[in-house]
Order: sequence, then C-alpha cells, then structure tokens
Amino acid sequence: MSNDIFVITEHMDGKFSDVSFELVGKAKELASAWGGQAVAVVVGSRVAANVFASNLTLQIDDAALSQFNPEAHGKVIEALVKEKSPRLVMFGWTATGMDLAAWLSARLGVACAAYVKNIGADLTMTCQAYGGKMIAEVAPEGDMAIAACLAGSFPAEAGQGSTAAITISLPIDLSSLKVKFVEAIKPAGGDVDITAQAKLVSIGRGIGSKDNVELAEELAQKLGAVVSSSRPVVDAGWLPRTRQVGKSGLKVKPKLYLMLGISGAPEHLEGMKSAELIIAVNTDKKAPIFNVAHYGATADLFEVAEAMLELL
Amino acid sequence: MNIVVAIKHIPSIADDLPVKGNNVDFDSVDFVLNEFDEQSIEQAVLVKESVGGTVTVIGVDLIGELDNVLHLALAKGADKAVKITGDDPSADSHTQAKWLSEAIKGLSPDIVFAGVQASNDLDGQIGPLLAAHLDMPYIGGVSSVGVSGDTATVSKEFAGGVGAKYAVTLPMVVGVQAASKPPRYAPISKVRQIAQTATVEKVAPSGDASSGLTFKKMAPPVAAGHAEMIEGSSKEVAAKIVELLKSKGLA
Amino acid sequence: MLTTIEKIIFIALALISAGFTFHGFKTIVDSIRKGRSAPELKNVPMSLVKGAVTVLFQRTIFKARKGLSAIHMGLFFGLITYAFVNLFDVLEGLVPGFDLVYGGKHIPNAPTGLVNAFNLIADVMSMFLLVAIIVFFVRRFIVKDKALTFRENILLNPKVKAGAQNTDSLIVDIFVIMHVIAHVLSQAYRLTDGADPFMPFASFLNSIFGASQTGVHVAWWVSLGWVMFIIPYLSRSKHTHFFMSPINLGLAKQNPRGQLDAPAKVDPGAKFLHDLSWKRVLDSYACVQCNRCQDVCPANFYGRPLSPSALEVNKRYLLKEATFGSHPDLYLLPLTETVISPEAVWSCTTCYACVRVCPVGNEPMADIVDIRRRMLVDGAELDSGVQNALQSLATNGNWMSKGKRLRGRWAKEMEFPVKNATEEPVEHLWFVGDTASFDERVIPNTKMVARLFNQGGLDFGIMYQNESNAGNDVRRVGEEGLFEQLVEQNMEAFGKAQFKQIVTTDPHSFNTLKNEYPQFGGKFEVKHYTVTLLKLFEEGKLTIKNKLSHYKVTFHDPCYLGRYNGGFTAPRKLLELLGVEFVEMPRNCENSFCCGAGGGQIWMGKVAPGERPAENRIKEALSTFGESANAKTQLFVVTCPKDMVMYSDAVKTTGNEGRIEVRDMIQLVAEGVGVDA
Repeated sequence: MSNDIFVITEHMDGKFSDVSFELVGKAKELASAWGGQAVAVVVGSRVAANVFASNLTLQIDDAALSQFNPEAHGKVIEALVKEKSPRLVMFGWTATGMDLAAWLSARLGVACAAYVKNIGADLTMTCQAYGGKMIAEVAPEGDMAIAACLAGSFPAEAGQGSTAAITISLPIDLSSLKVKFVEAIKPAGGDVDITAQAKLVSIGRGIGSKDNVELAEELAQKLGAVVSSSRPVVDAGWLPRTRQVGKSGLKVKPKLYLMLGISGAPEHLEGMKSAELIIAVNTDKKAPIFNVAHYGATADLFEVAEAMLELL
Repeated sequence: MNIVVAIKHIPSIADDLPVKGNNVDFDSVDFVLNEFDEQSIEQAVLVKESVGGTVTVIGVDLIGELDNVLHLALAKGADKAVKITGDDPSADSHTQAKWLSEAIKGLSPDIVFAGVQASNDLDGQIGPLLAAHLDMPYIGGVSSVGVSGDTATVSKEFAGGVGAKYAVTLPMVVGVQAASKPPRYAPISKVRQIAQTATVEKVAPSGDASSGLTFKKMAPPVAAGHAEMIEGSSKEVAAKIVELLKSKGLA
Repeated sequence: MLTTIEKIIFIALALISAGFTFHGFKTIVDSIRKGRSAPELKNVPMSLVKGAVTVLFQRTIFKARKGLSAIHMGLFFGLITYAFVNLFDVLEGLVPGFDLVYGGKHIPNAPTGLVNAFNLIADVMSMFLLVAIIVFFVRRFIVKDKALTFRENILLNPKVKAGAQNTDSLIVDIFVIMHVIAHVLSQAYRLTDGADPFMPFASFLNSIFGASQTGVHVAWWVSLGWVMFIIPYLSRSKHTHFFMSPINLGLAKQNPRGQLDAPAKVDPGAKFLHDLSWKRVLDSYACVQCNRCQDVCPANFYGRPLSPSALEVNKRYLLKEATFGSHPDLYLLPLTETVISPEAVWSCTTCYACVRVCPVGNEPMADIVDIRRRMLVDGAELDSGVQNALQSLATNGNWMSKGKRLRGRWAKEMEFPVKNATEEPVEHLWFVGDTASFDERVIPNTKMVARLFNQGGLDFGIMYQNESNAGNDVRRVGEEGLFEQLVEQNMEAFGKAQFKQIVTTDPHSFNTLKNEYPQFGGKFEVKHYTVTLLKLFEEGKLTIKNKLSHYKVTFHDPCYLGRYNGGFTAPRKLLELLGVEFVEMPRNCENSFCCGAGGGQIWMGKVAPGERPAENRIKEALSTFGESANAKTQLFVVTCPKDMVMYSDAVKTTGNEGRIEVRDMIQLVAEGVGVDA
C-alpha cells in the first residue's frame, strides 16, 4: 500500500497521446498532496519513454507488447498493479483505456470511476455522465481506486518532462495469449483530412437522413469548408469514418467549427473543444453544446443552412 | 455457435434527468436500450447469419420493462431472451455485470457481445467487467466481427479510422462500437406478435459485486461558460452567423 | 332483309362472338376472384344502382378536364344510343319487313312518332359520335397530348412501353368510325323514297350515294360484323372499362376517405398482384387509362417516378398477359418489379388526390400503402429518415427523438395552468400532436392556441406525456404494427381522461382520430381547432378587436383536413370574420394541391431536383394575388404545422421572401382578437 499514482500511458507508433501527459500532470499534483509518487507506466516495445514529468517512469518492454493487445497489456498491468499497490491507477477514457480500466477493476476488486473529469485531493471524482447532461461526484471505497479520465480534462504541459524510464522485467508470462494482433488498419485513403482543415461544417444526428447530408455539403462548399460529423452520422453510414470528430474519431482544431444538429456529448467535445470559433445550431435549447460553443442558436438547422446558402 | 448479447437498460437522455438525493430519480425517467447495444445486437445477428448458431439476448430487468427491449431484439433476429430480475433501477455496471456473468456462464457462450459503453457507465462498462468475471479476453471499440471455426477476427477502432485487426481464440467478449451494417428495423407487428408468443426466461440475480463508488452528488452541469445565443428567426440567425464569419474573415 | 344463308351465317357468327365474349368475361371474373377479400360491402344492389346512375349522368368525370369530359359524355350517350341502334339493326336484318326508315311506315301499326324520334336521336348521335371519336383520335394520334403519356422514369409494362395502349385505342377508334359510318350508310341506302326529315345525316349520304339493296347488305354486314368482332375484343382491351366502371363505381370504397382498410392478419399488405383485394384487381379493369390521377399527383409533378395511372395500367397488362396471354407465371413476379418501382412506392404523399379525381372509383393510393405494408414486414431497406422516425416513434411515441416527458414542456411555460386531462375532467381534450408539441418553431403558435382557448373560456386540457403520436402517417408509411401500438397507447391515455370531445391542431392526427380510431373502438367526437375557434366566435366568447383588412390572404386546404374530411368552411369563415381580403387559389378545397409532406415524406430527405409541390403552390398563390396595386401584405395561410414548415421553406427556395408570408391561421386569429404572442 502506497500513496503512489500510476498513470497507464498510451502510445502509438512511438508517440504518446496527449491524454497521457494530461494524466501525468494531474498525478503529480495529487502525488504532491498525498506524499506519494506520480508513476508513468509505459507498456510497449522499444518506446522512447523519457518524456514525462513523472516522479518515476516504469517501462515494461517486450516484443509481445509492441502493438496494443488488450489481453497482453491487461495482464501486464494487472500484475504490476498487484505488486506495487498504488493508491490510484489512472487510465484515459480512450479506445485503449476503455478496454482495461473496468476489466482491471473487476480483476482486482477495486472501485473504478469512468468519464472522470476531475479528481479531488480527497479522491472525490467528478464524472460527466448521461451524455454530458449530468455531473456526478463519486467517492471510491477501499485502498486502491481506478479512474478512467476523459481526454482534455487536465493541461498536458504539466506532464511533459524527461524523467528517465526504468525498465523492469515482464511481470507475467505472455506466451499463451488468446488475442493475436493481425494488422494495423489505416484510415481509408482518398478522403480529405479533416484535421488539416481550417473550417469544418459538422453535422450530427439532427441532420435526420442521409439525403440531407447534401445540404451540409453545399454549405461547406460555399464556406470553403469540409463536412465532418459526430459518431451517429458515421455509424449510420451517412459519412465515411474519416469524417468523424470525437473520441473515436479525430481531434480537430479548426478556425471555424460550425455545428449543425450536434447536441454535444462529451465524446464529441473531446474532439473539437479547442476549435477557435465554435458556432452551434440546435433545436434543443438545453443541448450541452451551448455550454461549450462560443455562439449558439436554437433554430432549425435546415432553415439556417438554407438561409446561409442564400447569403453566401 | 452460442452467441450471447448482454444488454443494458438505461435512463433515456432524450428527457431532462430529474435528481433525487445524490442520484438520478429513476422513478421519473424512461428507460431505453443503450444505443450501442442496438449495434451489438445487430452485430450478433450478422454473425449468426453468416456462421449459424443461436443468439441469446440477456439483460437485467431494472424496472420491470425489459420485456419490450427483449421482444425487439427477438424481432431483429435473436433466438432466445433472458432477463435477470434485478428490480433495482440503481444497479450499477459492476452489479449488473456480476449478475449477467453468473447467468451467462450457464449458457456456455462461444462469443459474448456487449455495447462498447453506455451513457451511465459511471463505474465502467458491462463488456470488460463481464470478460473479467468470465475469464475471457475482451476487445472493445469493435466495428466488425467475423468468425471462422474457433477464431474470431475483430476490427477495433482507435480513432479517426486508425485501428487494428485481431484474431482471437474463442470464447471472448466483444464491445461493439458499430455493427458492420447499420442496425435493421424490426417491424412492430413482428415485435408485437413476438410479445404475445415468445417466452422470456427469468433468472434470479446471483452473485454480489459492487462498484465501490459512493454517490456524493448528481446534478446537471453548471456551465462554466455559455454560448452567446443568437436570437431571432432562422433567417436572422443565418444572417448573424454569416456576418460574424465575414467579420472574422471566415466567409 | 337478310337471305336465309346470310341469316345462318349471322347467327353462327353471333354464337361464336358470344362464346368468345363469355370466355373473356369469365377470365376477367376469375382473375378478380383471385384477389383477397375486401371489407364487406353494405347494400350491394342499391350501391350498384347508384353506380349506374353515376355513370348515366357522367357525374364523376367533370372533376377535371371539363371540355374533354363533355365530349366523353357525348361519346357515352352516343354509344348508349347505339346499343339500341344495333338491336334494331339486327331486327332489320332478321325480321322480314322490319324497317325503321320513314317512321317505320312499312311496319304495320308502327308508332310513327316514336320511331321518328328514335331515328332523329340515332342520326344526330351518329354525327356526335363521329365528331367525338375524331376529337379523341386527333388528341391521341395527331396532337399527341402529353397527358396520355408517361415520363421516362416511370416503370412500365414492356407492352405499354411498346405502345399497346395506342393500339387498343386505334382499334376502337377505327371500329367506332367504321361502325357508325356503315350503320348510317345502311340507313341511307334504304331511303328509296328520298330524304327522311328525321334522318338528316342519312338523307345527306343518300343524296350522294342513292339507294341500293346491295348497299344495304354490304353496309349492314360491315356495321354488325364489326360488332361481332369488337364485343369479345373489348374484354381483352382497356375498353373493358365500358362494363367494369359502373360496377367499380357501385362497389367503390364505402368507409370514410380517411380510413385505410386494415391489412390482412397473415402476410399483410401486398407483394404479388393477388395479395391485393379483389376490388383493387377490379380497379385495373375499370381503368380507361385517362391519366387524370397522374395530372393531380404531387409526386409525379415533382418528377418522382410515380404515376398512379401507370400503376393501374401495369396491373391491367400484367393481368392480360397472365390470363389471355397464358403466362400465369407472371403472377409470381413481385409488384415492385412489374407495376410500380420501389422508389415510386416511397414517393407517394397519400394526398388522396388520385383517388378523388378518378372517375371510376379506383384507389391506386391504397395499393401503394399495401405494397409498403408488405415491404415493411419483409424487412426491406428503409429510407434512413423513415427508419429513424419509426424507431423514435416506437421508443418515444414521437418522431422527433424527443423524450416523452418533454411533450408538455411548452404548457408548463404558460402564464396560466394548462389542465392535465388525464388527471382532471375537461370538456375539450386537446390532442396537440408532435410538431406542435416539440418543434421550437411551432411552439409559439401552440401557445397562441392555448391562449385563445383560455380567453374564450374553453374548458380544455392536454394529456402531457400520456399523448403519443396519433399514427396517421405511420399507418400510411405501412407500419401497421407501430400504428396499432400508438393507437393502444393513446386509447389507454384516453381511458384515463374524462372529456366530451377531442380538438386537434394537426389535420393528420385529426384524420386518424376521427376516422380510424373507431376501427379500434375509439369513437370520439373529434374537431379541428378551426371549428372550435369558429364556435367560440359564434357564441360570442371571442370577439374580433382588430379587423385585418391590411392583409391579402389565400388559404391552403391541407389534404387531411380538406380533401379527406371536408373541413373547407371553418377556416374560410374565420378569415371572413377577421376581415382580410380573401382570394381563392385555382386549386382549392377538394382540388387542393398537396404540400408534399404527407405519407411519411416529411421524414425523408430531400431527394429530387426540380420544382417541389410546395414551391409550385407558392407560385400559384402569387399568381392568384396578381400584381396587386395596393400595398397589402400578402399571406399564405395554413392550418397544419407541417404546412408551416413546408411552405416557409418553399417561400425561401423560390426567392419570394418579402412578397408572400406564410402564417398559421392561429397567428391571424390571435392578431384579430388581440392576444399577444
């Protein structure tokens, strides 16, 4: 039992994601309050891990860990956490962290909170639940807790540094894995790169049907922008996955983010909240997006889009 | 092939969520099927259609209205429906996953599907919790599943079209982000017919697990900031937006 | 007149002709009987008499194409006359000495006056027939009237595409011309004593050709020989119409216009021809393929691949090939491959214009709903917008993906309490509808209705979250199961409430509550709010404070209030009370033109380029207003929340903002009464 905080970092192609730095930064803050250490945990193969401002960086290096494998990574992290008994284990509430956090919680029998936006010194976790419509404050019981934190909740700068990584040996045998990495999937080529656009017209469920996407395309064309979307639009097959903004899509930071019919679930906000100018049009005056957008209007997106087309 | 889909009945966020004490007032909200579970049911049925087998849909009946959801799943191609009579609308993911895992063990599944997440997964999602209890590997964020023999090939999405393909020796638990095809529509006549003829197997909850989280507060977000609202008719709104864009050199 | 040998030949031919005719009609009847059962008809003999009377007075054809209809009327009476003419011609041939010329002076004790009268009528009608048939011939073959053709994108039976309809018409045109000329000639040749003043046309021909016994024989044989051929032919051509349209009119829909027949319990709806009820198989035999339904179809206007008449024509040719053409295997082809394309099926707005305009009582729209019903059950891929709407309706009871509890949110924002009809008794249960309850653009109007009801002292309440979508459009999309579910939900809510009558804002809800809920045991008095408001004015509970003479107004009859339910007067009376300058568009009341949103279209994305029905309607309104010299504000007044959405959009897309404004009736009434928004 310690007052250490483990941050399970994530990386791809040798590059750590922003959320890892954000969590390390937050861990440091908590560690200094608790008198423990902020420990960055790097699981992978041949990753340059001396990039964090952590008190300690533990690196577990094995060829079997070269690609994210939920089973392998899970087993390694479980063994490590069991051995070191930190006070808190932090994951990103991301495609990889989501595979591990709750699983680890059930394996170890420790409390786990998800959708975490903030963690208090008393370990009270503030969670953004119900599609952003509710903020919950929860307190974990027990000596150890797990927090799966929304990306973008803490500043990344505080986590950046150059603490030398200490490589430790593989804590568990990985020879009989049931999950085998086959290949990486690259984004479908040929489509525009929405992360490179200065202007995005982004559509959500409110667009209603596939045929209406055309209206957004027209508007985007007039604005010299490109159409992006929230997840449901892509899941419905109305736009290719390359256009999806948000947690499971792309992070964008355009000069203009014009949102039509997007209510603003936390997963989407993760991908666009640092846009320079956010304008949201939505029929629901209580849509969470209005808490984030710079300008908002409670109006019918079709009417607004068509009126804009005439004016442009 | 024994295909199991674990579903979650959750408060609808189409409504305003009233608060009672330190949690949502579950008596005053409508419960709906988690939207990701619609995807996972579709993916399960697609797998069944390609390799054969039976699809069993199972969920915890929190408010006594799960039958509707189960009937819908049957109409979409599931073969069997099971409900765990939980009768506790505040049962968290840990509790539900424990109950589900005990019931699913008896079904000797080859593959278990769950929605990748739900909007009320404050203590984590059903899928990975189930995997831990069933001692099966878990992969979430999945957008396609193919099965051949005792191996499943699943595609997991990280972000922005980047992903990875895995081959997994079954059994496993899959957390579905999106089915490989958009979910089908089940005609209500079929659902209603099923409602009259189908039997939903009832299972008493067994096992005990808790999230270990204590709710201290639940409230709508206090907005740190709020958008400057543009009032007026749609036309006026459009005009003001265009004006704004022009003033910033964006149009 | 005829020789013995001629008589033998004639009788033999007549028997052969009768045989073919019998076979023809038996084949038709058999094919009709293959259809599914139809709702039980009441009072069949009386209905058939009514049908016959309708035909006799040609009542139904004058709903459109008035000039051509008059000519059709002439043709009709001409052919009726010719039934008698042919009867007498046969008698002239077979009975020695039977001869009607000169008042029948060769026949002992002939009623000369009567015979002369008949001769005059027959002679004049002969000329009329010739003129009429030549007009129709010229229209079809010389002028090539576009109304008789189908657009390229419409699915057509290959035979129709190859011009089979024209061949049919040509044969009948030539028959009528030859037959009439031969008959008149046969009379002319009999005029041995010169002109008969009661037979001016025959006398004129006699003055050219003279009298001739041989001529009489030849002309007689030409005239009646044709008949021997044409009668069996009729059963095999589109002109079966002669016999089938009176029957079809007699057996036409007896339930209210706004009530769809319930689908079969097993295999609901229609995939194959004989999944349709026998009456709708009969429809295709009654159809003369005049395309009047196509003229009034908003989907067809919009360039969509739908033509109600092509549907009937295709059914007819499918039947013909399957029966007379001995290809019964054609019955096994789905309707969506043979009579109407899937895209056309999903283009229908269920505006009822095709059914209303049909002179012979056909219901192509009902076929389309049945085809949709089966597509739904068979799991056909749905338009994504429709699927979303249906899913939301199934889950939330509204198509707008809003939570149930939000339905009454607007009412809680009112300055006075709006009663919950499921908790306390009210006189008027206001069924608000989805758009009026949830759409932020329409809610101000909803609140105005409430304020006016309140000011008029109306004891009213709403059902808050207990109300579900009434299901009118759900049923018309073909989702009968969901419709039944919604009906049950609403019936349960009504069961909790105490009220005397229902008042609705939305004509679609109005229609189904009024006409279809009785099928499920829900018999209520249902009123549209225009009627309720009018009554408040008539009882003096509301009074006009401000006359609105500064408005020039036209009114759009929504399909489901007007054409379906005859709600024409209340809105017009309200406008009169308000003192606006009112002008009527050419297409008004029964003949109103659909906005294009009904039958589920509002859930689908915008699909086709080209002028939309609503845009056309706005132009119609503007041309009705004309270039007005006065500076009055020109208003397009609607009484349906869907119309508000459709027409506001159309005003913009046609670039007519500033020239015409769309207003809901309630806004005008509020202004007149002096109730603020």
